[in-house]
Amino acid sequence: MRRFIFIVTVMMALAALTAGAEGARKLRVVATIPDLKSLTEAVGGDLVDVDSLTRGTQNFHEAEVRPSMMLKLRRADVLVENGLDLDAWADVAVNGANNPNIVRGAAGRVDISRGVPILEVPTVRVDRSMGDVHPLGNPHFSLDPGLAPIITQNIVDGLARVEPENRAAFARNRELFLAKLDQEMGRWQKMMEPVRGAKVVVYHPDFIYFLTRFGLVQVATLEDRAGIPASPGHLVNVIKMMKAERVKMILVEPWNDVKLANRVAEEAGARAFVMATAVGAVKGAENYIAAIDFNIKTLSEALK
Amino acid sequence: MHALVVVSVLLLVALLAAPVAAQEADALRRELDQMRRGFETMKEQYQKSIEALSDRLKRLETTPVPTAVGPAPASAIQALQAAPPGTGLGSSPMSPSDLLRPREPYSLYGQRGSGQLLFDMGVTGDFVGAFAPHNVQKSGAGTFGADTNRFFPREVELSFFGQIDPFARAEVRIEAGSDSSVSLAEANLTLLTLPYGFQAKLGQMRNRFGLTNVIHEHDLSFVDRPNVLRNFFGDEGLVEKGVEVTWVPDFLPFYLEALVGAFNGDNTTAFGYGRITQPLVTGRLRTFFELGDTSAIQLGISGANGQTADRLTSTILGYDVKYKYRPEGWLHPLLTLSSEGLYSRRRLEEVVEVETLVDTDGDGIPDTPVTNLIGKKSTRDAFGWYLQGEVQPLRRWAFGARYDASQFPDRPGFEKAIEPYVSFFPSEFLRFRVAYKHTDRDRTQIEEFNLNGATARSVNEVFFQATFILGAHPAHPF
Repeated sequence: MRRFIFIVTVMMALAALTAGAEGARKLRVVATIPDLKSLTEAVGGDLVDVDSLTRGTQNFHEAEVRPSMMLKLRRADVLVENGLDLDAWADVAVNGANNPNIVRGAAGRVDISRGVPILEVPTVRVDRSMGDVHPLGNPHFSLDPGLAPIITQNIVDGLARVEPENRAAFARNRELFLAKLDQEMGRWQKMMEPVRGAKVVVYHPDFIYFLTRFGLVQVATLEDRAGIPASPGHLVNVIKMMKAERVKMILVEPWNDVKLANRVAEEAGARAFVMATAVGAVKGAENYIAAIDFNIKTLSEALK
Repeated sequence: MHALVVVSVLLLVALLAAPVAAQEADALRRELDQMRRGFETMKEQYQKSIEALSDRLKRLETTPVPTAVGPAPASAIQALQAAPPGTGLGSSPMSPSDLLRPREPYSLYGQRGSGQLLFDMGVTGDFVGAFAPHNVQKSGAGTFGADTNRFFPREVELSFFGQIDPFARAEVRIEAGSDSSVSLAEANLTLLTLPYGFQAKLGQMRNRFGLTNVIHEHDLSFVDRPNVLRNFFGDEGLVEKGVEVTWVPDFLPFYLEALVGAFNGDNTTAFGYGRITQPLVTGRLRTFFELGDTSAIQLGISGANGQTADRLTSTILGYDVKYKYRPEGWLHPLLTLSSEGLYSRRRLEEVVEVETLVDTDGDGIPDTPVTNLIGKKSTRDAFGWYLQGEVQPLRRWAFGARYDASQFPDRPGFEKAIEPYVSFFPSEFLRFRVAYKHTDRDRTQIEEFNLNGATARSVNEVFFQATFILGAHPAHPF
């Protein structure tokens, strides 16, 4: 028992010694996905240091919780998460980080789905026979530029909860970013106008917000059900549908089976394109605006 | 003439009607008075209501703002979030009165709709079929003992987990096994908001000792627990009641988790004294290194020191290492390697025969040998380890093998085993696994291994495993 008390005392003394050396520094923010890292950088500017727990090439549904995530979270003042169960694994990482600033309910925990009009919210009874269904609705909204005002407002509010004195600076950065985004939006709308109403097939249903924003129609998914690999019978039906609906394009995530998408596209007389499903998912999509720009260019050229 | 008559009649009627009109005017005046009074009363009531609503609005504006609630108008969000964060977590320590005050979950309890449980719930079912020759079944020397040549529910587990309040989370797991008995597998709470990077877990738990002890049966990468863990901690592993405190420093360039724990020491295989006054003390250090974007390695050392039921010291030390290679963009690792080793040093009291000379003829000289049984304390060292490798080239298929080598901490003997296996995952929540296990044991004094002409010294077994997850299941760490 004495040994136990001794060990605990030594650990506490070490912790106390190391805790005081905090001077003026930037707000340390960790985002669960790179889209939110990019948006937080835009809002936080020079006042924040932002890191991401995942890379754009990863499937965010199935991110592996590594202790390196816990190390990033251990030092974080703020955790920005997507919500709607896309990054539910963050809870496991937070639990291993021993950081009270970012546990659920803490001031430093920012859920950017707050106030977002959610699509594909189930209106019928859901269970896992429907695949990896999201009971709260489709969580892939972060790359819809039309939702950036809500998302960035949530980020401003979250950062300002931790650093209220910088609220005005965060709000000003947000306005500048949104003004820039607005200019781009006008250009993007013009580029997409000629292909409005075009039909596309997606591999996994993570483009619905983007497609809806620019007036495109998703007619099928290569996945039989979300998260369940496609059966041959399902693929045959998709190919028939693509031919009947004259679908020219399959949208694929970089982490999904691109070869399979290419085979299906070939059979259906279409083409498969790897899209920027997140910031950093493909070359040329290094930040939020660049990722959307990449998708707009790819869609507008492929659907001509 | 006619006109004169008509005028006279009209005048008469008018004269007769005059008192009636006066009466009606009075009645109208009274009604108007009543209505005026009614309006006054209503005005007062409305005024009171407006004042009450204003007070309520003021109160609401100063109450905590939940950080993750449903949609709200942007203007409302802006106005609400300008308020100070309600819990004050991370900004100011809790006072005793804060601890006593009812908080959000309790108020939410009364407002929740159907389907909003405020915690997660899940069921896992793990069924195993173990097949071996009859002599193995008869001697009980198979991996699953009396369940050899049976298909049985090894572990059906009902689990509840979630936030208790903003400061703690809880986990409760209740399980039933092949003997249909229901038992408490785990029930603990974790204090999440301790300062200086500390966290404390209290209750009954699977101890964080090495790699696999903390993992429940259904989540193991192989069908059965490695021999070394079963030999050193028993079939169930190390499950104790007490407290674990972890510390994660934030000043190191790499991840390090330090853990100390104090427990009853109820595990009869390794300890067994079962009193917190003479606690089983555990400790663990775990670190982790990224080797680029695609591979990573985790290293750990663990230790446990306690007393056996005979109040003799028992110490177990362990190492563990795990490596994963996951190519860029893959949804699963291509290669996983893991190894764990345990070293046991235990004081034992063994009954030994001691021969002494006794004086039987009365000449004062001991001359006759007599055998006495006496308890003799000794120290026994034992070591065991395993190495596992798994390749998963396809999302639904994994192929692996495990090599076991282990001594026994309280008796002589040695066993080694090799166990190749194949896993098939129709989905994330369903898994089938087939394994073959060959075990060799040396010539020991262990009685059950020597039954039936010692045929149980070399054992061949085939396992089939089916595992499902129903409902919520937390994500698996590295």
